[in-house]
Amino acid sequence: MDQAVKSAFPKCVRVDSKPHIFCPGCGHPEVLKALGFAIDDLGLQSKVAFGVDIGCSLLAWDFFNLDTIETHHGRTIPTMVGFKRANPAGVAIAYVGDGGGYAIGLSHVINAAIRNENILVIVVNNAVYAMTGGQEAPTTLQGMKVKTAPCGADQYHINAPEIIRNVNPTAFVARSITTIQFGLRKMLKDALQHQLDGKGFAFVEVLSQCPLNWKTLDKPQETFDFLEKTLAKAYPVKKY
Amino acid sequence: MTEPYKIIICGEGGQGALSVAEIIATAAWLQGKHAVCMPFFSTEKRGGVSMAYVQISDDRIPFPKFNKADLWVVLSQRSIERIYDYLQDGTRIVVNSYLVKDLSRIEKWKPQAIDATTIARSQFQKPRTFNMIIMGAMLRSIPDLGLKAFGQALEKVFGEKYERDPAMRDLNQKALQAGYDLIK
Amino acid sequence: MIMAEKKFIIGNEALGRAARAAGARAFYGYPITPTSEIAHFWAKEACSEAGKKDNLVFLQAEDEIGAGFMLVGGVLAGTRSFTATAGPGHILMQDAFSMAEAMRFPVVAYIMQRGGPSTSTVIYSQQEVNLAVFGGNGNGYRIVYSPATLQELYDYGIKVFNIAWKYRFPTFLLGDGYLAKMMGEVEIYAPEERGIKMEPTEAYLLEKNRTRPLAEVMPSPEIAQRIAEDGVQYDCFRNCLNLEEETLAVNMEIKAAFDAAAKDIVEFQEYGAPEAATLIVAHGIVSEAAKAAIDALGGKSARLFRPITLRPFPVEELRRAAKGAERIIVAESADNMLARFVKDALCGYISRPVEEYFRPSIGILPSEIAALVGK
Repeated sequence: MDQAVKSAFPKCVRVDSKPHIFCPGCGHPEVLKALGFAIDDLGLQSKVAFGVDIGCSLLAWDFFNLDTIETHHGRTIPTMVGFKRANPAGVAIAYVGDGGGYAIGLSHVINAAIRNENILVIVVNNAVYAMTGGQEAPTTLQGMKVKTAPCGADQYHINAPEIIRNVNPTAFVARSITTIQFGLRKMLKDALQHQLDGKGFAFVEVLSQCPLNWKTLDKPQETFDFLEKTLAKAYPVKKY
Repeated sequence: MTEPYKIIICGEGGQGALSVAEIIATAAWLQGKHAVCMPFFSTEKRGGVSMAYVQISDDRIPFPKFNKADLWVVLSQRSIERIYDYLQDGTRIVVNSYLVKDLSRIEKWKPQAIDATTIARSQFQKPRTFNMIIMGAMLRSIPDLGLKAFGQALEKVFGEKYERDPAMRDLNQKALQAGYDLIK
Repeated sequence: MIMAEKKFIIGNEALGRAARAAGARAFYGYPITPTSEIAHFWAKEACSEAGKKDNLVFLQAEDEIGAGFMLVGGVLAGTRSFTATAGPGHILMQDAFSMAEAMRFPVVAYIMQRGGPSTSTVIYSQQEVNLAVFGGNGNGYRIVYSPATLQELYDYGIKVFNIAWKYRFPTFLLGDGYLAKMMGEVEIYAPEERGIKMEPTEAYLLEKNRTRPLAEVMPSPEIAQRIAEDGVQYDCFRNCLNLEEETLAVNMEIKAAFDAAAKDIVEFQEYGAPEAATLIVAHGIVSEAAKAAIDALGGKSARLFRPITLRPFPVEELRRAAKGAERIIVAESADNMLARFVKDALCGYISRPVEEYFRPSIGILPSEIAALVGK
């Protein structure tokens, strides 16, 4: 972790990505920073093909000094799968939200896992569709009041790592959280190593905050309580 | 330009109508003729109708489909209705009488009714070879098409099946000959 | 290296062999009648000795949406990549095709039209013209070829890769179920045996030796090129835009590039005596029926104008052919798809309405066309 000691900023992140263009208090910059450090630690900057979805992740389309492709909504995984199959030497990362990963893109994620595709999928889970204004997501928890469930969402939601592990016993599967930066970095670094070792599918869900759509912009304590207590309780942070 | 010789064959999906058509077209091509085979089916593998258009010619074949046939072959009862409109004066008919029992509609064409399934069962113990017997009978009507090119054509169409079941090779050849010998 | 050889094969096999001859390396697809044999062919090639040596990629996706985007991924890697689909699969591919249209990615697809709308039959139609040309939410900037014979499946099956990578537009071979499943003679050959030079490819992501500047092959608002501190360049691509001015620029840049290329790309064929009074306009296998009809009628009463590229459509050439025609008959196995292009091109150039012979999702025989001319 030399990089972390020398600089608070990953080398592979474009200097003028700071200040970031995400919403104030958004979790994405934390995830991208951790990913940046992981990429630096492994010396992968010139080898990464970075795919982003349509959603808040699209704001990262030119965040890094990495070759990047923004795909259609829910289609980042198959794009990176097709890329990796044609260019196995490239390091393929698909960076998506809970909609791109678990709703419109779910079939692609699970089938990539079933085929043990040698890519890294990062799903940033803030339990809501943020970019489009706060609609219900497959990870919205019971009682959350969101735009398309204004009277409160129901109890059903997806625990993805368990499903991934179910269809693929050897994949790298983990859940992390934006508030533990060093843990997140290590998780992403290990996940990338899994791909470098040619071991196949690597999947990391990262619990993240969205103060804007959680309506807690002016209440940071509530933001982090919800993230670290409520979300993390429903979605355990651990290696699977 | 001479008119191509036109063959239409119709059966149920899974009866091998398409295979027969492919083999005949392939054999004609191997003999140096122009040939085209166009299959028709509803659902892909089983059930539903299965038919094929074959044309053989010494000249270029202008279009892969046609509306009247010179040789008309049915392997199931409802195929009669299905391809009835392809009959014209002088069309020769071959039917598998095991499944096609009611020939009243096509009597005036004096169909060659062959109980291919029974022959396949009794002579070859393999009911599936009935379509090879039918094909042998068909050969008699097709001008300038000899049995010789058929070995190669069968190999081409059934190659993979023969790899799994080498006995089929000999069986098909015999069934073909049996059908051929049935017609004088 | 393949030596020229005559084979007796079905259309789908001709297409598979064409892709192989063209140096395609990756196939991403999903089974759908009447194209599945193309996938079977490639899967077999990919696990053969020769295929392994050539690093062939074969991937059956979870659905056509996945396959379409995997195809984009293969192209991003700089690999000649293709897919094959029809009907409902063709519909699903439009998500990926519209991204490729926006970003001018050279995706190649063999589309073998089947009955429609919806599941319909697995057999045949000419009803996917609108999808192939206009299927996305763009303005239809794709290159679409309509082959008419088995040999053309092979010839254009190779050509689409060159056109795609040279001009950088989604390029489709729009065949049909009859051609796909028909068995007949095809001469297969290696491109170099016919003096055909294969257009080189370049990756979009992780390209080390870029010779064609990105701004030449992609709309500029979609590209952000970044130079890192160590001088290394990184390329970022997007299709999501923020301002109306940006999206206007993207559309106009695509249009300008397409229109400039159109002159080189447009293809058509004419048949029959130039003085014949009746002009038949037909594409694909129906044009073969038209030729047979013209011959059967003695070759003097009718002539054929056959667009080979449906997009770009041979507008000027059709206008020239229509001059002096007493009647113009459009025959297609669809309802007003080819005819719409014809009427669009001839608007203001002819005084009589175009006669329409529409047989959506069913074949058209030479005798039917001959009967139309006879009227």
